Amino acid sequence: MNIVVCVKYVPDATGDRKFESDNTVDREGVDGLLSELDEYAVEQSLQLKEKLGSDGGDSEVTVLTIGPAGAVDAIRKALQMGADKGVHVQDDAIAGSDAFATSLVLAEAVKKLPHDLVVCGMASTDGGMGVVPAMLSERLGLPGATLGSSIELDGQTLKIRRDGDTATVTVEATLPAVLSVTDQSGEARYPSFKGIMAAKKKPVETWSLADLGVDAGQVGLEASYTAVEETQARPPRTAGEIVKDEDGSGAKALVDFLVSKKFV
Amino acid sequence: MTQIPFVESPERQSLRQEVRKLASSYGREYFVRQARNGEKTTELWQDIAKHGYLGVSIPEEYGGGGGGIGDLAAVLEELAAAGSPLLMMVVSPAICGTVITRFGTDEQKRRWLPGIADGSFTMAFAITEPDAGSNSHRITTTARRDADGWVLKGRKIYISGVDEAQAVLVVARTEDAKTGSLKPCLFVVPTDAAGFEYQPIEMEILSPEKQFSVFIDDVHLPADALVGDEDAGLLQLFAGLNPERIMASAFATGMARLALEQAVEYAKTRQVFKTPIGAHQAIAHPLAESHVEVELARLMTQKAAALYDAGEDMAAGEAANMAKFASADAVCKAADRAVQTLGGNGLTVEYGVASLLTASRLSRIAPVSREMILNFVSSFSLGLPKSY
Repeated sequence: MNIVVCVKYVPDATGDRKFESDNTVDREGVDGLLSELDEYAVEQSLQLKEKLGSDGGDSEVTVLTIGPAGAVDAIRKALQMGADKGVHVQDDAIAGSDAFATSLVLAEAVKKLPHDLVVCGMASTDGGMGVVPAMLSERLGLPGATLGSSIELDGQTLKIRRDGDTATVTVEATLPAVLSVTDQSGEARYPSFKGIMAAKKKPVETWSLADLGVDAGQVGLEASYTAVEETQARPPRTAGEIVKDEDGSGAKALVDFLVSKKFV
Repeated sequence: MTQIPFVESPERQSLRQEVRKLASSYGREYFVRQARNGEKTTELWQDIAKHGYLGVSIPEEYGGGGGGIGDLAAVLEELAAAGSPLLMMVVSPAICGTVITRFGTDEQKRRWLPGIADGSFTMAFAITEPDAGSNSHRITTTARRDADGWVLKGRKIYISGVDEAQAVLVVARTEDAKTGSLKPCLFVVPTDAAGFEYQPIEMEILSPEKQFSVFIDDVHLPADALVGDEDAGLLQLFAGLNPERIMASAFATGMARLALEQAVEYAKTRQVFKTPIGAHQAIAHPLAESHVEVELARLMTQKAAALYDAGEDMAAGEAANMAKFASADAVCKAADRAVQTLGGNGLTVEYGVASLLTASRLSRIAPVSREMILNFVSSFSLGLPKSY
């Protein structure tokens, strides 16, 4: 069983977000890390591998990322958690790619890897579009089981629960397939000390666009269908309003507030 | 000597990040709540153990991570920086784990190390005595042989966490050591042994771990309760005391980072005149100075750990003492400056900075006082004559 888990290297969400003059994210000035939502994808991949145990033959989890040199940190984190090897697609021409172009590069990289299951997070914590898993399944011509909050594998059948606002649906797909998992799928593990030490020795390959046979003109800012036109700093947090309940009027004040903000 | 770099490895830095993240999910509130309610931080202890962070320095063949004291110190520092230090790490894995690893028999290692590594077995450490505070040459707890093994008698004071330990590593002397020269020998004493009693000492320190007076009244021990060589002397003891100093330094620098972080956060947002108070140099400079002091102390702590892990015991001892000295002073100043930055809020329960005042003060006293370190540096490093 070969699992490819696609992860993204993103700016630390707890830091200040900055943008370049072309409105792409400034990756130089901030600390980057493995997107928190992708940690769930890594976790589910590892759990599937563990559940298969020795019955699944030699199961292997490969971490795949696209990004600048620093993106290897995201791979490293996934390897520390327990993934087996990494592939880093690194090419200056990719910078500024939108979801469409990103999914092209990911798909071509996945095609070069043995894959029974391709696992993604539900969205990135920076771009937050959440469309790459669906695009990836389309480009690979594989069934896409997206937004799974609980994941089961029964032989060659993948079964997920997808929680919607009004209903919960169960989706089944036959392998090979593309899966995306939500932040409800189960807390991601912390790398153990041994995992941290072992990751140092795990193999990471670096591929260029040429290695994938992708033309540079198909990707990057120029080739992207979507463009960020404007960015704005988040307004500073305001003080908020504290409702005090000294004479029994608190509940009404709270409801009035919620109504005034159209929450209820 | 092997080359020792000035910056920690990427793996050490990853370890710090992960521990910090895990500890932050508990946070300072957890530590304070448990301490005030007279409860332990067992959940955090087990959580840290589960990920292999507690046993990082124990050899892999005994269930540990196969790392060094530098790794263990990094874990403790990050816990302290996140507001939830685990004091028993200083004694159980650092002192006891190290001493047993280095001097225990295979059987002793198999019996105790896996439990110390996975957190299921906690071993306290007892050296200080009422009449031999800083003078460990005056230790009077004695061990005499009997037919089956040993009989231990004596009294210990300021022993951490005896109530949460299954055994205590007790520093004693053999009875025939009439010369008065220190020939420490180390015994593992189960806390439920007949004749072993302990009483809590009320402290003005907010801590889930308590301090105890220990009374050892003719406790019978099997022959293999003795760890290491009866005559190995100071070597064995210092194998445990140097990691203790390194861990105490890590505890202190972590706590100093916590104090500074709270002060800086407050100084950035608190506004009395036109700008946040952090813009005023009277507030900013003391905090900046503390940051420098803490970074210097951390560097010395890392140096001491690197030397220790490289097997350079003598050099590690000198560096560990200096690191402990610098860390203690750094955390005391940081806590004091944090309180001053917060003004009246600095002394409230709500802001939680005041409790760092007494907690940080402990660093200047234990496990060795700053005066004894200066004595050591005077004679050992500078070659000045001794007064004692």
